[in-house]
Amino acid sequence: MLRVEGLTVRAGEGRVTQDVSFEVAEDRLTCLIGPSGCGKTSVLKWLAGVLAPSLAATGRLSIDGAPATTPDRRIAYQPQQDALLPWLIVAENAALGLSIRGRRRAEAREAVTPLLASFGLAGTEDAFPAALSGGMRQRAAFLRTIVQDSRFVLLDEPFSALDAVTRLSMQDWLAARLDEVPRGILMVTHDLHEATRLADRILVMAARPGRIVADITIDTPRGDRTEAALAGTRSHLKTRLLEETP
Amino acid sequence: MQLVRHFAPTAGLALALLLGWEVYCRLSGIPSFVLPPPSGVVRVLWTERSAIGPHALATIGVATLGFGLSVAFAFAASVALHFLPWLRRGAMPIFVASQTIPIVALAPLMILWFGFGLLPKVLLVILVTFFPILVSLLSGYAAVPQAWLDLLRSMDAGRAAIFRRVTLPAARASFLAGLRISATYAIVATIFAEYAGARRGLGIYILAAKNNFRADLVLAAVALSAALTLALLGLLRLADRITAGRFGGPADAAG
Repeated sequence: MLRVEGLTVRAGEGRVTQDVSFEVAEDRLTCLIGPSGCGKTSVLKWLAGVLAPSLAATGRLSIDGAPATTPDRRIAYQPQQDALLPWLIVAENAALGLSIRGRRRAEAREAVTPLLASFGLAGTEDAFPAALSGGMRQRAAFLRTIVQDSRFVLLDEPFSALDAVTRLSMQDWLAARLDEVPRGILMVTHDLHEATRLADRILVMAARPGRIVADITIDTPRGDRTEAALAGTRSHLKTRLLEETP
Repeated sequence: MQLVRHFAPTAGLALALLLGWEVYCRLSGIPSFVLPPPSGVVRVLWTERSAIGPHALATIGVATLGFGLSVAFAFAASVALHFLPWLRRGAMPIFVASQTIPIVALAPLMILWFGFGLLPKVLLVILVTFFPILVSLLSGYAAVPQAWLDLLRSMDAGRAAIFRRVTLPAARASFLAGLRISATYAIVATIFAEYAGARRGLGIYILAAKNNFRADLVLAAVALSAALTLALLGLLRLADRITAGRFGGPADAAG
């Protein structure tokens, strides 16, 4: 269990977030949803240890009850969009986290190769990212995140750059991968359809300053989440979001 | 075919200009010691080849050494300035000021201080070509997408690892742009340094030709200098193409 307590992020005199506290359960997908500027990305960046130097944060992070400092090996971070390095081939991009953390390059590639097929990347390992479609790039980015073998994964609007159809298929694809390789995921999104399709739990943030105003658990298994089954939750979520959007 | 299409407009335009110049010289009756026709310039380039050749070689030598050292110094300086912000704040105004010194004033002083040997000329080439490379490298380092830096920081990469794995490769296009700008200055700067004082080189050849009222020889040396600059740019483009595969898609060099 990853726990954040009393996270306040300040930008000069102003507060980006105010006293944000929540937990991310192991092997569950938690969504952080809210209007633009509510500080959800700042929460994620703080957890990843990459908060901009112009922002000051106070708060406590603990994993399994023990205090933790970031960046922490147990937490992997995927920035907005895919952040693939264009001069590295897919296999090198996917192995980047491992080679940065000291694994020899060949060894890191070996760890990645068996997973390429299940990530829909078979045959593309020697291709440069520019040759891939948006969905494939996103899958390569996921592979880079997943192979780091972290218990918790931070995803910052991972599907926002994709077209509507690719986004839907990628959401299903991610759900299937999570069944195979479960991780405690914290995903930032502003798309309530995406949140209700994927999340086990949705934390709704309000803006100025960013704070959590609702905590919604979705018990319906992902496979049974039809439009009809989700209608009630979506309607409730939409009302809350509209209430909190100035 | 693509190559032909690429260079056809330039070749056509150059040919039209030369043709206009040739026709003007023939019809206007202008004396050839004032404005020789292009055909006359080509003729002396050929007949005087054994005289110009060693001068051109000397210019190539100085320009190559100066430009090579300039790239090395600019790279070393860019790394130091990238990692030491206080040094960047302190040194950049000095580098900018160094660019405001008129080369006309500096070249004779260099000769005065360091003699007629290689050193003053190489120093002058470095002084002229160093700054564009340095600035292009620094702006390349500064333009790295934040997401790439965040990604590596989240992987607990140190500053040196981030620089080597992300910042430096990401600055490639910007670096090449700076190299191209500097390459166009390198030959000209060498010739200017030679003009101010040298035993051999296109610069001193131009000076001697001018003193003998041989406009055709001056223009022949100018044509050679243009050819050398184009050759240098061509080499850079080639290096760009060879390494472009690693950098996802088309080469960065344009023109």
